[in-house]
Amino acid sequence: MKALKIILFVLVMGTVSSVMLVGVNSFTQPLIFKNEEVKLKSAVLGALEITYETGSALAIFNDKVRVLDAGKTEFFISRDGAAAFEFYGPGLWGPISGVASINPDLKSIKAIKIVSQEETPGLGGRIAEHGFLKQFRGKEFFPRLVFMPEGKSSAVNEVDAITGATGSSRALERLLNSVLQKNAGILKEQLNNR
Amino acid sequence: MNATNPLILLVAAIFTHNIALVYILGMCPFIVISRNFKTALGMGVAIIFVVTLTAIIIWPIYWLILVPAKAEIISYLIFIIVIAATVQLLEMLIEKFFPPLQSSFGIFLPLITVNCIVLAVCLFMVLRKYDFIQTVFYSLGTSAGWALAIIIMAAIKEKMMLISDVPKGLRGAGITMIIAGLLAFAFMGFAGMITLQ
Amino acid sequence: MSPKKTVKRSFRNAKWFKALIAGLWQDNPTFCMVLGLCSMLAITNRMDNAIAMGLGVTFCIVFSSLLVSLFRNVIPSRVRMLAYMVIIATFVICVDRFLKAYFPPISEELGPYVGLIITNCIIMGRAEAYAIKNGPLLSALDGLGCGIGYTFMLILMAFVRETIGFGTLLGYRVMPGSWVNWVVMTIAPGAFFLLGVYLWIFRTIAKKTEA
Repeated sequence: MKALKIILFVLVMGTVSSVMLVGVNSFTQPLIFKNEEVKLKSAVLGALEITYETGSALAIFNDKVRVLDAGKTEFFISRDGAAAFEFYGPGLWGPISGVASINPDLKSIKAIKIVSQEETPGLGGRIAEHGFLKQFRGKEFFPRLVFMPEGKSSAVNEVDAITGATGSSRALERLLNSVLQKNAGILKEQLNNR
Repeated sequence: MNATNPLILLVAAIFTHNIALVYILGMCPFIVISRNFKTALGMGVAIIFVVTLTAIIIWPIYWLILVPAKAEIISYLIFIIVIAATVQLLEMLIEKFFPPLQSSFGIFLPLITVNCIVLAVCLFMVLRKYDFIQTVFYSLGTSAGWALAIIIMAAIKEKMMLISDVPKGLRGAGITMIIAGLLAFAFMGFAGMITLQ
Repeated sequence: MSPKKTVKRSFRNAKWFKALIAGLWQDNPTFCMVLGLCSMLAITNRMDNAIAMGLGVTFCIVFSSLLVSLFRNVIPSRVRMLAYMVIIATFVICVDRFLKAYFPPISEELGPYVGLIITNCIIMGRAEAYAIKNGPLLSALDGLGCGIGYTFMLILMAFVRETIGFGTLLGYRVMPGSWVNWVVMTIAPGAFFLLGVYLWIFRTIAKKTEA
């Protein structure tokens, strides 16, 4: 009898909790989806260097960006021909994810935006800072993008690494090289097939 | 989906991404249990068992039942109930079939239910979308890493009790924190050994 | 026995006040009972995260204690622990969803640590030690006291860590431009050291006031 009472209690408690949570879910789920959508689209707009005010990200995105579905990847093409895409790969301490955009010439970078990373704050974490990322503008990634010691970069395919964050810098170098060349290739094919 | 080699996950979870010294989880028992080498060993072994077992049970429950049913909202609820149930079951099994083990690590089992790392492993596994094999290796590595940290702590503290003159205010929890900080620093030296996706 | 004199009905003696205050100093979860450490160390490297976590934990403690106390005569003794966990988990999920929906950047920074409030020893500890034996109002106040005490601690930790480690406070620059960030304060070792020092200070003060 006691066992029955216990089981009954657990069942009732479980059901009540679940019902309450499903209620909370219906409230918050749409908002959460929208937040994720805004996050991605804001990053894309940032990478394509299209300005927008907070709150109007979605509207501006729908107006100024064209989505090209290439099977495994989605490309976001702006009116001036620049193409943006998401990238994801290993950093030193954890995965790095972001949005990169390339110019219509398909061999130079327009902008890089880091959406999430788990590097050491203040050191490797600086890869997400605007001050570090702005140097990528216009840099070419063929034959490959090379990270030089801070202050030593000169050629059109060289950028400065972060002093004191060799691991994170190297990880980012590997990641960018693989995604930039791969996606430029896919995009070229897609555009040629039209 | 993650493409990381499970063996790499295992090694990384023990060293470069040690859950106690990098993610700072499982702290409450960490402070209390690490007084004594033998107890730490017992607790460590118990944790490895429980974490791996619960991860193995929860992975299919999440991916094969909750996700298709779009019921992710109750996932934490289900996780904690499964964890509690698994620990209860384990306790009963040990009492019935392996009484000698009861004294060496059976007594820690009730404590483990509230140990953050059991739930943490499940949460990370969901967050990083590991597949089944990765989950097994990850849970094994994480619990082994925690066990390693707690055993090292216990060994150091036991020695300290004998030879150091710890200031009154620092005794107990305070000095444990300082030691943990130094250990965390030391483990940072492993960074770059592995790149973890 | 004390001599007969009119006892001043000071509210300080009221049960509710005592319940509230206990959580703040004598029974402060962290310093006296070394509980709830995971969040204390892991997310206090920024003040906004610390405040969010503190408020989240306080919300969960208050309502969990309240519910446990309301049902204290109905919960069968054998499944006490399970009952606590289900109740706590429900509120934690609510907090998690709330943050994801209305404060996405904070939710991202806190990540899985919000879910880990479920295993935060403080909440279960209070439920087992107090809420299961006392009335709803007192339990809720006890929870509130503990929650506020805990939040206070989180803020103390974050205050030092963010200022020294990032040079900012709540995102606003507070250190002079020439300040070199103590990056160690923003990662695990710094957290451990800082808490060790705080424990030292608090325990020494407590012993002195005890004596």
